[in-house]
Amino acid sequence: MKDNMSRRRFLRECCWGGALGAVGLAAGFAASKAAGKDFVWQIDPFKCISCGNCATYCVLEESAVKCVHKHAMCGYCKLCTGYYEPEPVALDTAAENQLCPTGAIGRKYVEHPYYKYSIDEKLCNGCAKCVKGCSAFGNGSLFLQVRHDRCLNCNECSIAVACPSVAFVRVGVDKPYLIKGQAH
Amino acid sequence: MKKNDILIWVFVGAAVVVGGVAVWLIDGSGDSGSGLGDEFTYDVSEYGKTDAKLVMYQELPERFDTGMKACKAIAVSGKKIYVAGDNMIRVVGGKDIKLSGMPRCLAVGEGGKVFVGVDGHVEVYSGAGKQIGVWDSGGEKALFTSIAVYEDNIFVADAGRRVVVRYDLEGNVVNEIGRKDEKRNISGFVIPSPYFDLAVASDGLLRVVNPGEHRIEAYTFDGDLEFSWGEPGIKIEGFCGCCNPVNFAILGDGSFVTVEKGLVRVKLYDEDGKFSGVVAGVDALVPGGVAKACAFPADCQSGGFDVAVDSDGKIYVLDTRSGVVRYFVRKIEPLINTN
Ligand code: SF4
Ligand code: SF4
Ligand code: SF4
Repeated sequence: MKDNMSRRRFLRECCWGGALGAVGLAAGFAASKAAGKDFVWQIDPFKCISCGNCATYCVLEESAVKCVHKHAMCGYCKLCTGYYEPEPVALDTAAENQLCPTGAIGRKYVEHPYYKYSIDEKLCNGCAKCVKGCSAFGNGSLFLQVRHDRCLNCNECSIAVACPSVAFVRVGVDKPYLIKGQAH
Repeated sequence: MKKNDILIWVFVGAAVVVGGVAVWLIDGSGDSGSGLGDEFTYDVSEYGKTDAKLVMYQELPERFDTGMKACKAIAVSGKKIYVAGDNMIRVVGGKDIKLSGMPRCLAVGEGGKVFVGVDGHVEVYSGAGKQIGVWDSGGEKALFTSIAVYEDNIFVADAGRRVVVRYDLEGNVVNEIGRKDEKRNISGFVIPSPYFDLAVASDGLLRVVNPGEHRIEAYTFDGDLEFSWGEPGIKIEGFCGCCNPVNFAILGDGSFVTVEKGLVRVKLYDEDGKFSGVVAGVDALVPGGVAKACAFPADCQSGGFDVAVDSDGKIYVLDTRSGVVRYFVRKIEPLINTN
């Protein structure tokens, strides 16, 4: 049987979970301060295999990993394979046709037949489902990044430990993002 | 060290130990999966499976290794195979031709004359491999992705300017085809990634892929849109992803051999665009079943295979990922024993 219990739910549902979560946060914050700020964690988007662990292994309640969109690489496609289910009933914005389970991707008409896709970070949990659809069938313009406005810069990033493709790397704090299409 | 500092460090130390044990207990390696619900999972490998009953071709055991780091296009003429890439054209059964830059497309005309698209211009080489012409550039935005030779016409697909340019044999522009024109009922080409192919069919009409619209459009040489066929869809009859097919070739009987990227599959459609069967499915073409578009930074908007056919109906697939040419021939149906 597939175990659908998320790691956070596991923590939440254990009697000591809440306390452990709070302690973990404090520890991460203190450790990051103590470790200095020369390097931060980031995802190499070319190594990421969209496994989904980014959504559930972050020490934060809401993962610090979010989907980002490099518009310059996007085809502005009518049939976006990061936005739509593999077999959409119609190419509209109905929830049943959308790939993102949280409705975090916005679709805006530009001009025939082009559409602009944007991520609402408040709704994105970093599950990488859209990343998989975009990189398998599209231009690969959707990818995951650790967002540094919320990341605690833990000494040992718990997602990095759980990442099956060793996609987490340390990057200089002056260049904290690994954006596709830019040398890195 | 102050008492408060010591307390903080004791607190931090304890937290790290407890946290570490907890992470170990809860599969810190991530090996047991993300734990996300079904709605968050997307198994693309499912789409890599091909119904064996639909496969009409078989691959020959031999392959040709181009030895190229980046091969882009293939053409076949007589007994010769031409592969463009790595600033050159490799001629199997002939002499290699050095080019001024990276080619993306090529076509072979009368007497083995080679027309090759390099960025946004055409270079012409004699059958002996001598450069005999460099045509004017299509401009800064031009990016030539396909060439076809038909009688006195050279058709070039310009993905950068989203138009087909018709040249005469000397490289003079005769006219442009496929620009958005409501009066002529032409919606224009939609080209999300640099794949834009064309060929002339046996009915004398030019066929051009409109990849973002997932269809093949038929034009007269003067630019009238006659008809089109093709549907988007991940199912085998459709063209998958955001922009497909990336390339195609036309067999002697008028049927179309199409190549898709993303779900890399080579399929056969009859001359009216009705799906006939599969030449090679994802499972046969890509290790692991599903191609990931971005294995490397440069791969992000590339990775499409090319295809050519010969007069015997043999299909040549240029596997741009591994730099080899693979050959496919029609399956021989087993004889039914009536005894
Ligand atoms: S854990 Fe690694 S492979 Fe999985 S989604 Fe995150 S970065 Fe990608
Ligand atoms: S599919 Fe997942 S990663 Fe993509 S936008 Fe939605 S929540 Fe974020
Ligand atoms: S370092 Fe990793 S685990 Fe820690 S907050 Fe940042 S993304 Fe989450």
